[in-house]
Formats: sequence, C-alpha cells, structure tokens
Amino acid sequence: MSDRLTKQEVLHVARLARINVTEEEIEKYQVQLKQLLDDVDKIKEVKLTNEDRLIAPVEEKTVCREDEQGEMLDPEEIMKNVPSSNGNFVEVPVMINE
Amino acid sequence: MSKYLDLSIVEINKLLKEKKIKPLDLVLEAFDRIEERKDLNAFITLDKERAIMKAKELEDKEVDNLFFGIPIAVKDNIVTKDLRTTCASHILDNFIPIYDATVVEKINDCHMIIVGKTNMDEFAMGSTSQTSYFGAPHNPWDVQKVAGGSSGGSAACISARLVPLALGSDTGGSIRQPSSYCGIVGMKPTYGRVSRYGLVAFGSSLDQIGPMTRNVYENALLLNVLVGRDDRDLTSSHKEKEDFTRLIGEDIKGMRIAVPNFFVKEDIVSSEVLNKLHEVIELLEKNGATVEYVDIDYIENAVTLYQIIAMGEASSNLARFDGVRYGYSVEDPKGIDELYALTRGNGFGDEVKRRIMVGSYLLSGENAKIYYNKALQIREAIRESFLKVFEKYDLIIGPNATTTAYNLGEGLDDPLKTFLDDILVIPVNMAGLPGMNVPMGFGEGHLPIGLQIIGNRFDEALMYKLASFVEKELDLELNPLEVR
Repeated sequence: MSDRLTKQEVLHVARLARINVTEEEIEKYQVQLKQLLDDVDKIKEVKLTNEDRLIAPVEEKTVCREDEQGEMLDPEEIMKNVPSSNGNFVEVPVMINE
Repeated sequence: MSKYLDLSIVEINKLLKEKKIKPLDLVLEAFDRIEERKDLNAFITLDKERAIMKAKELEDKEVDNLFFGIPIAVKDNIVTKDLRTTCASHILDNFIPIYDATVVEKINDCHMIIVGKTNMDEFAMGSTSQTSYFGAPHNPWDVQKVAGGSSGGSAACISARLVPLALGSDTGGSIRQPSSYCGIVGMKPTYGRVSRYGLVAFGSSLDQIGPMTRNVYENALLLNVLVGRDDRDLTSSHKEKEDFTRLIGEDIKGMRIAVPNFFVKEDIVSSEVLNKLHEVIELLEKNGATVEYVDIDYIENAVTLYQIIAMGEASSNLARFDGVRYGYSVEDPKGIDELYALTRGNGFGDEVKRRIMVGSYLLSGENAKIYYNKALQIREAIRESFLKVFEKYDLIIGPNATTTAYNLGEGLDDPLKTFLDDILVIPVNMAGLPGMNVPMGFGEGHLPIGLQIIGNRFDEALMYKLASFVEKELDLELNPLEVR
C-alpha cells in the first residue's frame, strides 16, 4: 500500500471540504491526510457485541419549544459583520449565468 | 504594584465589602500583571477601556456576591458582545459578535469583569495552542515549553496569576490537559451541565465549557455560577442548581476509587507521571479509601473514535465559515465556488484544514456508515463500560497527560501527535462524563503533573471533594513566581 494519497485524491477531499489547496499543500497533504486516514482505519478491526449507537451523551428527551416568536437579533447589527452588503441584503458573486 | 490578586476570592470580597479596595484596583492590577507578562502571549484581545469603565460603574453598586468586581479571562471561542472573538483564526480575525454567550451573560450578571479573550488552538483544534494564528502561548513554569491546549491561554494566565478566574472549553481534553501542564485546577463538567450557546461549535456532541482556577474551592464556586438549563441549548440539562462546594473538606474514608489499567500503561505514560500517581494512590489508601485497578472496555479505541466524531462534526460545523455572512472573505472571487474555496483555503490554518478535509471525507457517501456509524456504536459501548465501573466505584482517577509540558515547536508537522497527547483525556468526552485536573506534583525541570478525576454523570461535587483532599494533603506551591 502506498504511504501517500494521489494528487487526485487530495483534490477530491479538498473539493468536498470546499477548501482551495495550493500545489505545495497538495504535496504535504498527500502524506498527512494518508497518515490520518490510515489511523482512523483502525476502527474497522474493532469487534462489537452490540449495535446501539450513542449520537450525543444526553439522557433527557429533547422537546420542541413553543412555536412563539422569541428574541430577535437586530438586522442592522447583523449586517455590520457582513463582508459585502447592499442595504439589508448580503451580496454574493453571480451564482447562475444567463 | 498592589498584590490583591494573590488573595483568595473570599478575602478580596471581604476587602471590597469593607470598602478597603475598589473593583478598579483589581482591574488595574490585572492589566499591570498582563502587561508585565506579555511574553506569555496568553491573550489575543484585551478589553482594557471597557473593563475600567465597568469597574468604575461598580463603585456605586452593592457588593452582592463573591464574584463582584473580580477580573476574569474568557477563551476566545466564547462569543462576547462587541468584543472581538477570533477562535485564534485568521478567518474570524475581524469578527465582532453581536450577542453574549449564555456563560458570559452569567458572569456579567455577577458583575465579574472580563479583561480579555485568551489564546488557544485555532478553533480549539490542537493540544498545545501552537495552531493559533496569533502564535502560541507560553508555559509560565518554563517559557520554552507549551502551555498545552486548546485552552492554553486560559491555563497560562491562571498559572501566572494574571487573573484569578478563566473560562475554557473541552472537546477532547482542552481544559484538563493544559491545566495539567500549567499546574492549575480545571473542570470539564458533565455534558449538558453548562449551556453551549455562544460557544463556537467544534464537536457539538463533545464540547463543554468549564472553569479554570488557581484552586479547587474557587473552581467549584465558579461552576456554581455557570450551570443551568438554557432553552437556547437544547442539550443543556434541566438538573436543579446545587452548591458544588458542599462536600469540600469532608473525609474521604470509605471512598471507592478505580484506576483504569489503560491509564497506567508504561508504554503510554512516562515514569515520572506514574510515580506521582502511585504516591497519590498510596495517600488515598492511607486515608481510608479503597483503590482498585479496572478494565474499561473499548477505552483504547477512544482516540480513533474522537478522530472520526470530532473531525466529522467539525467539518459540518465549520461549513458556516464561507466568507458570506461574517469573517474574512477573499476579494473579487470569480463565482461562488471560488469565494468559498479561496476564503476557506486562505482563512483556515493547517490543522483546521486537515481536520475539515478528513471529516468531510469520513462523512461522505458510504463512508458515513463505515466510519461514523461504527464510531457511534463503539461510543455507546464505551459509555456502558464506564457506567459499569460506576456501579462499583465512586470515582475514577489517573493522569491527565502522558508527560509534562514539552518544548515549543515540537510535533507541529505530525498530524497524529496532537491526538496522542490527549489519549488519557478523550475517553471522558466520548461518554459525556465530568473530568477535572488537580495538580499532584512536579517532574523534571519542576514542571507540573496533574491528577485526572473522573466522575459519574452530574457527580461534580464528589469530584471536588476528592480534589480538595488531594490539594490540601499535598499542599504544593503552585505559583511559578514563588518557586523561581
């Protein structure tokens, strides 16, 4: 088994994560991501007697809150952190052409 | 310089009540201390102007609780209204929150005064705080050593006595391990004890906020303030409030204590750490506690589970950092895909990118079943193993860290080291149990070694009882300035 991912494999996981990677990073991640993935592969060898799952360690039942309007954040405040805005609208690049 | 901040919270409170000092004296002293120990790089953002203003406002108010006017530091992944919150990341280095986390509301309600936001690993991902975009904090016992992580800045500022109180967060040991490296008391409460509302999410089923302090009693006092149901965090518990100091000082005779065999393996834990643990075990036995060694099934798999669950949850949680609504955003992107990919590529550091990429991969398609689902099954098995131990024993003990703090710069390019550093602290998060650190001695170079105490769900008061016993019996000098 190779000790590194292929360049294509790194580009695939980077695409899944929506993270741009430079040529230099690809080189590095080919080795580092492979190390991590090999390590998590140990899980395949674990034998279990039970199939129950624990998603979160919460014992209380979660309940829905009343369907009432609660506190709201001020739109003007929210817009202060928006990188690119137009009035109360958040601006993003064109998503669909034509 | 005045020395009020070397006093206990109770003593400070008395002076405030008798009007011998003012909150402003405490705040100015804290900033003097912070300025003097700038070399520790314990803080990312200071809030001096507002802290002074708040201290002055308190002069007309009645001293109504023990924490009135006490300076506190808050880890920089807990949001503070109008005070920059970066998560030690470039992607949030201009982010000003527009609301307070629930725990911040609670500390404000007690009139504690926030002096600033502490340094940490980027998005709490790391075990040394070296992944911080703002450079690593240093260990006050030896500035060439790491402070631990991810709550390294909080641990360093308590250890160096810059402020008496701090908040940290713990996803896989991030309160306990730096507390161990820096020789302070840190508690990761039961999952659900403290509201996570306003804690920037990393691994949502693991994250928990907790107090970091100079001693056990003040830790319990601060936890009293932080807990309680919060409708804005549906995983927060409805448990009644209680006084966590109530068992402190009680006799430990008859206490049943378990030590997992995994925690004393010589190929995992260094001999100086094991020696200290054995001394503590002897001390407990001499004082009427029973200590027995036990096996906890699947505990050796905890690191692998952590990798899968924490990276998986992180990849989903950190999807929100997209350059659209807040934080860093790349200029003039060609289309939305480039906006996302370049913002995230430039904005996140190496450790964070690795974890998001691996997490996304582990959750994609069939992998979700092979890895994530299997991890959740083993997680349940670990929880059951722990509960079986608690049928026979009151508490579990062991070390928090396999060694003392190591040199800054070590392990940065090894993607596995950061997980192995946390091998002894991760199991607790898997099962949602409370775990804490109390110092139990020093190793080579006079670096602190910490005892981990693990309790059953919601048994924090019992943990404080044992911790205070150990603290009192060992009577260690925990102020690095006094030792030097």
